[in-house]
Amino acid sequence: MTTRATRTTRTGTRYKAVATVSIGLLALSACSSSSTTEPGAGSTPAGAAGGGQVTLTLATFNQFGYEDLLPEFEKSHPNIKVTHKKAATSNEARDNFNTRLAAGSGMADVEAVEVDWLPEILQYSAKFTDLENPSVDGRWPEWKTKAATDANGALVGYGTDAGPEAICYRGDLLKAAGFPSDRESVAKWLGTSWESYFAAGQQFAAKSKTPFFDSLGATYQGMINQVEKTYEDTDGTVIATTNPAVRKVYDEVVKAGIDNKLSAKLQQWSDDWTASYQKNGFATMLCPGWMVGVIEGNAKGVKGWDIANTFPGGGGNWGGSYLVVPKQSAHPAEARELADWLTAPEQQIKAFQKVGAFPSQVAAQSSPELAAVKVASFNNAPTGQIFSDRFKGISVSPFKGPKYFAINDAMQKALTRIEDGTSTPAASWDKFTADVQALG
Amino acid sequence: MTAPTLVPVRAPEPTPARRRLTRNAIRRSQASPVAYTFLIIVLLASVFPLWWSFVIGSKDATAINSGDVSLIPGGNFLVNARTVVDTLPFWKALANSIIVSTAVGVAVVLLSTMAGFAFAKLRFRGKGVLLVFVIATMAVPTQLGIVPLFIVMSKLGWIGSLGAVIVPSLVNAFGVFWMTQYLKEALPDELIEAARVDGASIFRIFWNIALPAARPGAAMLGLFTFIATWTNFFWPFIVLDPGNPTLPVALQQLQARYYVDYSLVLAGVVLAALPLIIVFAVAGRQLVSGIMQGAVKG
Amino acid sequence: MTVTTKRPPDSSGPAGPGGGDRLPTRPSGIRPRSKLRQRLSRLDGAVSPYAYISPFFILFAIVGLFPLLYTLWVSLHQWNLIGGQGDYVGLKNFTDVLGQPFFWKALRNTLSIFVLSSVPQVIFALLIAAALDSGLRAKAFWRMSVLLPYVIAPVAVVLIFNDLFGDKFGLINQVLGYVGIDPVQWHKDTLSSHVAIATMVNFRWTGYNALIFLAAMQTVPRDYYEAALIDGAGRVRTFFSITIPQLRATIIFVVITSTIGGLQIFDEPRMFDQYGQGGADRQWQTLTIYLYNIGWTQKNFGRAAAIAWLLFLIIIVFALVNFVVTQRIASRESR
Repeated sequence: MTTRATRTTRTGTRYKAVATVSIGLLALSACSSSSTTEPGAGSTPAGAAGGGQVTLTLATFNQFGYEDLLPEFEKSHPNIKVTHKKAATSNEARDNFNTRLAAGSGMADVEAVEVDWLPEILQYSAKFTDLENPSVDGRWPEWKTKAATDANGALVGYGTDAGPEAICYRGDLLKAAGFPSDRESVAKWLGTSWESYFAAGQQFAAKSKTPFFDSLGATYQGMINQVEKTYEDTDGTVIATTNPAVRKVYDEVVKAGIDNKLSAKLQQWSDDWTASYQKNGFATMLCPGWMVGVIEGNAKGVKGWDIANTFPGGGGNWGGSYLVVPKQSAHPAEARELADWLTAPEQQIKAFQKVGAFPSQVAAQSSPELAAVKVASFNNAPTGQIFSDRFKGISVSPFKGPKYFAINDAMQKALTRIEDGTSTPAASWDKFTADVQALG
Repeated sequence: MTAPTLVPVRAPEPTPARRRLTRNAIRRSQASPVAYTFLIIVLLASVFPLWWSFVIGSKDATAINSGDVSLIPGGNFLVNARTVVDTLPFWKALANSIIVSTAVGVAVVLLSTMAGFAFAKLRFRGKGVLLVFVIATMAVPTQLGIVPLFIVMSKLGWIGSLGAVIVPSLVNAFGVFWMTQYLKEALPDELIEAARVDGASIFRIFWNIALPAARPGAAMLGLFTFIATWTNFFWPFIVLDPGNPTLPVALQQLQARYYVDYSLVLAGVVLAALPLIIVFAVAGRQLVSGIMQGAVKG
Repeated sequence: MTVTTKRPPDSSGPAGPGGGDRLPTRPSGIRPRSKLRQRLSRLDGAVSPYAYISPFFILFAIVGLFPLLYTLWVSLHQWNLIGGQGDYVGLKNFTDVLGQPFFWKALRNTLSIFVLSSVPQVIFALLIAAALDSGLRAKAFWRMSVLLPYVIAPVAVVLIFNDLFGDKFGLINQVLGYVGIDPVQWHKDTLSSHVAIATMVNFRWTGYNALIFLAAMQTVPRDYYEAALIDGAGRVRTFFSITIPQLRATIIFVVITSTIGGLQIFDEPRMFDQYGQGGADRQWQTLTIYLYNIGWTQKNFGRAAAIAWLLFLIIIVFALVNFVVTQRIASRESR
């Protein structure tokens, strides 16, 4: 039923790359039984396999950990060359993405999209290739795929990493305040609910001058990611300012961070937040997998960071991205092939080893290679194991509508205003309401 | 789009310049120590930020974060510079900046000299109105056309290409005004009249008389346009992408990231500032006299 | 300035072939030649000027005038960055913008930063110019030294000053700490953020303006000073009673030209923090940042176009006010 010619690359010791030559048949289906051993088997159009050289561009942001993978891909796909361009942040990538999408040209063949602005582009899913392909069946958990599926059932993006959350903490600071500092005891102490986490914070605050967590915004994000319906209803109505669930999280985080003084009031990504890693700025923070790399970078030379295998409310996902193929691409089949290959479990595990972007692939979770990953600068914490456990704890997939990004951005600013002292919590909520209304 | 945000202006003094120049030769008095002290402070203020960025750019993150303030550079500059060059498309940005600034500089000089020649030395209907129009457009912020310009560039498929940066920058009313004023003074009417009587065509007069006479003023205009284009950020930031930036657009990426290492940021600043500092070292005198001439020309 | 009085190298005498080489189609050796030549020359004189000015005007029409008018068209529609043109909505975009507090806040910030950057700038530039005009040794060196910041791109200037203006760990706050002053919340407090941003603008432009003032100072007739000296006036006295009044028009010119740039300020506030939106409470969100955020971040092109037009009108108003003021002063002086 299918015709495939395969060959293994000489250098790819563990990875069998599959080049597909089609003989008149385009409707190929991959018949690899397990995607863990044969990544990226898919269809390739006749033209590409005919020896013509194809250059693909890949656009990512921050750290995807793809630098070493691309040469590998090129080796196994000798007819494809990949140029990689990187934006610094998700926000910058989003601006660029929108600009090129609006321009109708200039997009990369494969573009990385963060989960928070994925809903915006789902509105324009007609401008993207439907990536539905047998080779990726069952690759991701349902919540990950659902977020990238449009109203008509087209799969717009392939999941790259996910952001299962744990709690990162400074063992040395806890110890100095007279608390246990080993991973198990800390996990027990912090508990599994927000109440217990904040209660631990108050105990800590009684014994130490160091703030308990970094910022309202970050903590809020962890909490809101566990709420099913937040800013928009499934029919598109904006409910952000009237939704009691949102207000409840807002009030709770303000109470813990401001009234009970647990927050260091350091807005994430600000200069002061960055610098605070060198100055004992705070004792704990919510920690999606990708945050480990950020902390490592900021806390160079600082000892004491560790990770507790627990998360208030059970589990939660913060961040994570997708690869999409715009219709603008002149080589959609090759682009899909690249996206497919990069998001296969093997590659994402390597990316995790390199930059800490935790794989969102189901098969990756049981991989011994993943479980073996430890981070030396985090007191040798078995991050692979911990985040894999946290990943399994993710149950809620919050609904995110097209205005999610803008509304959440307004909310983050509202929380920053409180911490900056420019607004009271009540006044800041009113400004948030005005911001949301102005979105029109 | 790259007109200098501040343009040289003419002095309103009505008295003839010649007389003033001779007056100027009479030195009032020697500068006082106060003036020197003040200027030394100004000099330090001018140089300090650059020196500071070199100091920080030559350390590593740990040394900066230790919190000790020191004005002595560390030994890490080359390492940081290499990291910057590796993380940013630095050479591409440098090449792009050179291409864009040169193209805009040359084109603006050419367009302005042509128009300035006509306004200064030729008689034609509607000249007065058109010149007023040019001066008025100096007040029109072409920058505000970004929304439709973006739409147009999208339709043309130019987004992301250098053309999208170059073309809107070619309109420079200031350049026309400058060359008009310059040629009015630098090119005696009698010369043109004589050439006309001799039967020289307008083109010949332009090519053989006006252009040579315009050279010093045109060079000045080219220099200022080059610098203004080089330092321009807003529009290039909108239309260019991180893979194909100009220097300021690339530099911006050093800060817009998830962890900011100021030793890298400021090493990048030093690297990016070097080309224009070299230009300044070579042509600084010309810049000074350009600004001062612009101020007194009328 | 030297004037090149070189004659055209191949300029021919009255009897020579004139511009024959450029008019190859003209029949040569025929009597009515000179008449034709005259006519051609007249035509040349009448048409050529337009040929010389047209490139500028054509380009201006395409990338200056047309976008301005098209902005108006866009502003009257619902228009999404990605989705493109939508329904005609009349003035709704304008009423939306004017009805929300954000536009006014952005306008306030813009004006505040403008005032903070132009007033100290003019004062310092005058002082520097006065110092430069006081018979220095190594004049060229001092002049160049004040101009150095001008060649540093605003983006680079912001990056440097951001490090200096860090709220908790920046050099400036550290130094303030040594002398017992509480750290200034540069990125939280509205006025402080404006001061920080204005400092960056001033850093780059003060020396430039000082040179303009210096040039104007040198045109002040020296006998004014001599007379004042004879009257026993000191340096400070003459500076205020002679130099400043004589430079009044130049000062106004400097302010005018900085108005146009100042009202469009983008680079410095955009890069003042990592987020580029002008602060959590829009403390330093200027009009251009507001315009960019609405258009590109919120993707509302219709509303962005409305903001662009409003900003355009504001600039025109400022330009007109400036123009009237200058005219007044000029006419008073010529009297």
